[in-house]
Amino acid sequence: MSAPTSAEVVVIGSGICGSLAAWKLATRGKQVLILEAGPRIDRGRIVAAFRNSPRKSDWMSPYPFSAWAPQPEYKPKSNGYLVQAGPYPYPAEYIRVVGGTTWHWSALAWRLVPNDVRIKSLYGVGVDWPVTYDELDPWYQEAEEQLGVAGLPDTGSPRKHPFPLPPVAEPWAMQRIRERLAPTYTVVGNTVARNSRSYGGRPACVGNNSCQPICPVNAQYLGINAVEAAKAAGVKVVPNAVVYRIEHDAKGRITAVDYYDPDKTSHRVSGKQFILAANGIESPKLLLLSSSSKYPNGLANSSGMVGRNLMDHPSNSLTFYADEEMWLGRGPQSPDSINTLRDGAFRSQHAAYRLDFTNISQVLGVTEALIEEGVYGPAFDQQLRWRAARQLSVKTLLEVLPNPDNRITLSSDKDAMGIPKPEAHYSIDAYTRRGAQAAREDFAKIAALLGGTGLRYTPKGEFSNNQHITGTLGMGDDPTRFVTDRFGRAHDHENLFCCGTGVMPTSATMNSTLTGVALALRTADHMAPLKAQAASTDTTREAVSS
Amino acid sequence: MTGELAMTEPDQGPANPARRRVLAGFLTAYTASLVPWALAQPVAAPEHGAFMALSALLAGRRSLDAGLAARLFDALSAMYPHFTADARALLAQINQQHIDPAQLQSTLDGAHSPLAPLPRRIMRAWCLGLVGEGEATKCVAYENALNAVIVADVLKPPTYAYGEYGSWAKPPLAEGVNAS
Ligand SMILES: Cc1cc2nc3c(=O)[nH]c(=O)nc-3n(C[C@H](O)[C@H](O)[C@H](O)COP(=O)(O)OP(=O)(O)OC[C@H]3O[C@@H](n4cnc5c(N)ncnc54)[C@H](O)[C@@H]3O)c2cc1C
Ligand code: SF4
Repeated sequence: MSAPTSAEVVVIGSGICGSLAAWKLATRGKQVLILEAGPRIDRGRIVAAFRNSPRKSDWMSPYPFSAWAPQPEYKPKSNGYLVQAGPYPYPAEYIRVVGGTTWHWSALAWRLVPNDVRIKSLYGVGVDWPVTYDELDPWYQEAEEQLGVAGLPDTGSPRKHPFPLPPVAEPWAMQRIRERLAPTYTVVGNTVARNSRSYGGRPACVGNNSCQPICPVNAQYLGINAVEAAKAAGVKVVPNAVVYRIEHDAKGRITAVDYYDPDKTSHRVSGKQFILAANGIESPKLLLLSSSSKYPNGLANSSGMVGRNLMDHPSNSLTFYADEEMWLGRGPQSPDSINTLRDGAFRSQHAAYRLDFTNISQVLGVTEALIEEGVYGPAFDQQLRWRAARQLSVKTLLEVLPNPDNRITLSSDKDAMGIPKPEAHYSIDAYTRRGAQAAREDFAKIAALLGGTGLRYTPKGEFSNNQHITGTLGMGDDPTRFVTDRFGRAHDHENLFCCGTGVMPTSATMNSTLTGVALALRTADHMAPLKAQAASTDTTREAVSS
Repeated sequence: MTGELAMTEPDQGPANPARRRVLAGFLTAYTASLVPWALAQPVAAPEHGAFMALSALLAGRRSLDAGLAARLFDALSAMYPHFTADARALLAQINQQHIDPAQLQSTLDGAHSPLAPLPRRIMRAWCLGLVGEGEATKCVAYENALNAVIVADVLKPPTYAYGEYGSWAKPPLAEGVNAS
């Protein structure tokens, strides 16, 4: 069966954002084709590969690597795919397979808080979004109904309709943390795309505690579920199709895309509308790669902003032993947070943050530490149980402000297909560092309230990354300052739309995917609006299987 | 009794295959006193003796799975050509110098002993199911590695279902969940 050479809408990338945009367009009667760089993978094989993996804390280790669609890997040593230009490392992770990176997300599906979209007006930092929180609400709702999001009624993000699912049962450890931190801190259950009952043809969570890197039972919504929904709605998906160029005509309209198959044979697919949904790093890379005599700096780049304003959520953390047995590792990995530091007048001075309590089993890390320390004999057994029962960890997700110098460019280094690799230029500014400093005081209070001993802070100035790639295709009304408009359309190309977290003009403090999906659904609606009489998102809400 | 394994070997192979080989035969009075509970631990083959003795000393467990022991021994000796000889040498040193397992690593590190990596290799194999270093590392065990077994009354290894929806909301050591 030969792959199609044309479609009404061509979508580049089968991640959660591209696939749900494709699904929505198909439900509006559009003929949609998704081109996906990576191969199809099988859940059962990923579970088996994880169990056999020598690197269980490396979420990438069970996933296959394809030479034609490389992805950044850092263990056991870096594969050099995401070139690091510094000054601070930006070791982003993503998976290039059918369904994309959410194969190994932890399904935290938070909305922003309303003030997140107005930080310039309110706090004099960053930029304001071209959309209001109220405009986002129905798209958040639709995204939550599609993903099957479970949450508590009051998490600081207003909503007009209830969550589709009741909150996921809170692990015992989190109940104890919540009780012991009250009233100094309010600990709340996370809003998650994880089934608290069967929903969308998927079962309720059974607590495998392997949400990252793989949910064995399909209780957590993944991009592959979006691919399946899109296919059921009539969307065609071509795997192993590495788009390397986007073509335009004399007026700047996009006419076709070119892709390589794994043998490097080139194929051309023409279309009327195009969605670029290859993620916050590969999408700008593709725009930069598609430069032409008319657009020497790359497509969609008259503002010069393609790939710039790269943001994420750096984390610092505290690990310690509580004075009672908690036993992390029972139930899902990411159950609870402190949300109250996401917003406030302090945002004019330092980064806002969310504080996230892990429920990842501590057994692996404790075992490694004990062996490293040379704890042998009967003490090993006792220490393993003592530490695994009491070890807790809390981390920040810190806001980063848009800074044009933080950016993705094309490297002079090429991948196996001869395509330039992406290059990350990144630094962490004083605003974010001050936020990290403020959070250290919270860490100390939290540890004290839990009778903490053996406190281990992330060394000052060191951060880990959260893979929430934002900003590189930022949306805004001014075409001289932003890549995309308020609907994700490239300012420079009437029929090119961008979907994904890259369009977010600021990063806020919440894991970005739900916002990326809500914006993608809104983009799809804009591309193929409902007929006037039925123009309400409620129509598509009915299409959700539950 | 000396630390020489060949001399303490109770059953030298096929001549008397029916006789059960146990760990006691590989230990001296000193090491036997450290792991009295493990004396009846079966030993699959004579060349496993020193490895099993070290395993009992390092892991401090009442019993070690003989099938897993054989797999770990095979993987370790395939990965490290001198593994069997090193294991004998280390056991002999423990016997001669009466080294307490709790002090073993610091003693070997302090003396810059060439045998210093050995205890960690054996413990990584038993407790993490991992043999080898860096890119050459192999996973030989997961759900039956000791770190999973030691906490099995409270936790399932990741990817194994904890239990029915919501069961994790109960206290971990509630009646019925934990017998200990
Ligand atoms: C370990 C981990 C945990 C995470 N946890 C969370 C979480 O709890 N909550 C949250 O909100 N976010 C989380 N994230 C982030 C989340 O995974 C991303 O925000 C999300 O995947 C973005 O979706 P996307 O569709 O834009 O991109 P992706 O999922 O990356 O999909 C992009 C797709 O495009 C394809 N593609 C790329 N280049 C090309 C090309 N040239 N041609 C054709 N196709 C191409 C890729 O192969 C891929 O399939 C996590 C990320 C990681 C790594
Ligand atoms: S805890 Fe287990 S069942 Fe629940 S979402 Fe995570 S991996 Fe899936």
